[in-house]
Amino acid sequence: MIELAPLWLTLKLALSTTLILFVVAIPLATWFSGKKTALKVIIESIVTLPLVLPPTVIGFYLLVAFSPGNAFGKWLEQWADIRLVFSFGGLLIASVVYSLPFMVHPIRSGLSSLPPSLKEASYSLGKTKWQTLLKVLLPNIKPSLLTGLVLTFAHTVGEFGVVLMIGGNMPGKTRTASIAIYDEVQAFHYREANVYALILLVLSFIILLIMYSFNGKMKQVKFY
Amino acid sequence: MMKGIFAILLLGLLSCQSPTRQQLTVAVAANMQYTIKELIAEFNKTDKTKIEVITGASGNLTQQIMGGAPFDIFISADRKYPQELADKGFTAEAPKVYAQGQLVLWSARPGIEPKSDLQLLLSDSIKRIAIAIPETAPYGHAAVSLLEKYGLYDKVQSKLVRGESITQTSQFIAMQNADIGFTAKAIVVSGEMEGKGKWVELNGDDYPAIEQSAVLLKHAQQGSETEARKFYNFLYSAEAKAIYQKSGYLVK
Repeated sequence: MIELAPLWLTLKLALSTTLILFVVAIPLATWFSGKKTALKVIIESIVTLPLVLPPTVIGFYLLVAFSPGNAFGKWLEQWADIRLVFSFGGLLIASVVYSLPFMVHPIRSGLSSLPPSLKEASYSLGKTKWQTLLKVLLPNIKPSLLTGLVLTFAHTVGEFGVVLMIGGNMPGKTRTASIAIYDEVQAFHYREANVYALILLVLSFIILLIMYSFNGKMKQVKFY
Repeated sequence: MMKGIFAILLLGLLSCQSPTRQQLTVAVAANMQYTIKELIAEFNKTDKTKIEVITGASGNLTQQIMGGAPFDIFISADRKYPQELADKGFTAEAPKVYAQGQLVLWSARPGIEPKSDLQLLLSDSIKRIAIAIPETAPYGHAAVSLLEKYGLYDKVQSKLVRGESITQTSQFIAMQNADIGFTAKAIVVSGEMEGKGKWVELNGDDYPAIEQSAVLLKHAQQGSETEARKFYNFLYSAEAKAIYQKSGYLVK
């Protein structure tokens, strides 16, 4: 039986992740695009880790961290009555960690590609750092911002391993579309699997189509 | 120079191909993951054939076999999946029951005492109950039948977290991410899980019998069929039955 719940859940997860990461990534990327320091190199490497690591590594660590049998999970449960494993909140945290480089990298490379004179002109005209970022720098890297948004969204839609490990397959809470496809295939329900898969395929294609047609109009397209 | 490297590469490839010993690949239901090791150890006492084990939920393994996975024997957690394979012509003969599985309620959280009347599941202190996914894991199917029989399924449904196989379900319980859960007795009595939390056996009359069956697959005929048949027959031997009994299964 085709249910809409897994699709809605996937959309909700992808939108929330993208929104959170957009807010988190801009300051991070701005900081990274500045002068190189030892600390920066370390932090930047950490931010990039999810790009290299298999999702199972992230899944495993989150599973351990969130467990009420361990210190952090216990503390969360006792003080806030929250259990992150098998919950939407837990999935959201996992997705934010997992997709972090997909938002930070395009924005960072966008900022780095801008001529320093742009920033300097703005400063010399009396604008603060904050105003310069919002009014001068970000409007000049729209293609990079769009790339970051789209990649993050698409990457979250495509998340599977982490969700399989920490989601617990709860309908309406953690059973995302990618998990639903897996379940349906395993249960020999090829028709259902096909419908979910087709919806995701078409959705992803449309998203990428929009990204490329917009970015084509603007001058530069940068991934990393 | 190039020729030399090429020769070394070729040699490497060839050495991979040369069969040093006979090898079997056996697809094993996740609940048997510990028991199969003992079975193989016992079998290898008299026969040195190397046996490779692939574990997973019975439904998933069935799926893989239909997809052409190169398995010689399928040791399932129920009767349904091997039968389905037999009906579709993937097996060399009809499946046979080797042992009967037992369902247990298990918790690794301190202070939770599993009881077979299951009323505990309704308590507020139980937030997450782990079961194996009923569509593909026979123990999950048995757990759902039991909950339905006790009239609890609808009441606890929002607390259920579903493991991809009985292994993942057990991991949810053992790591305490689920407060309590349904798993196979073979898992909780295994050396690796012994002493982790508390468990209780559930009344076997209240859920459909978990008739664990095995079947010799057609793929075996392409390779070492005699060896495959030998191990398959061993699964029904007195030695194997003693191991099932010791490992938390019922044997007729």
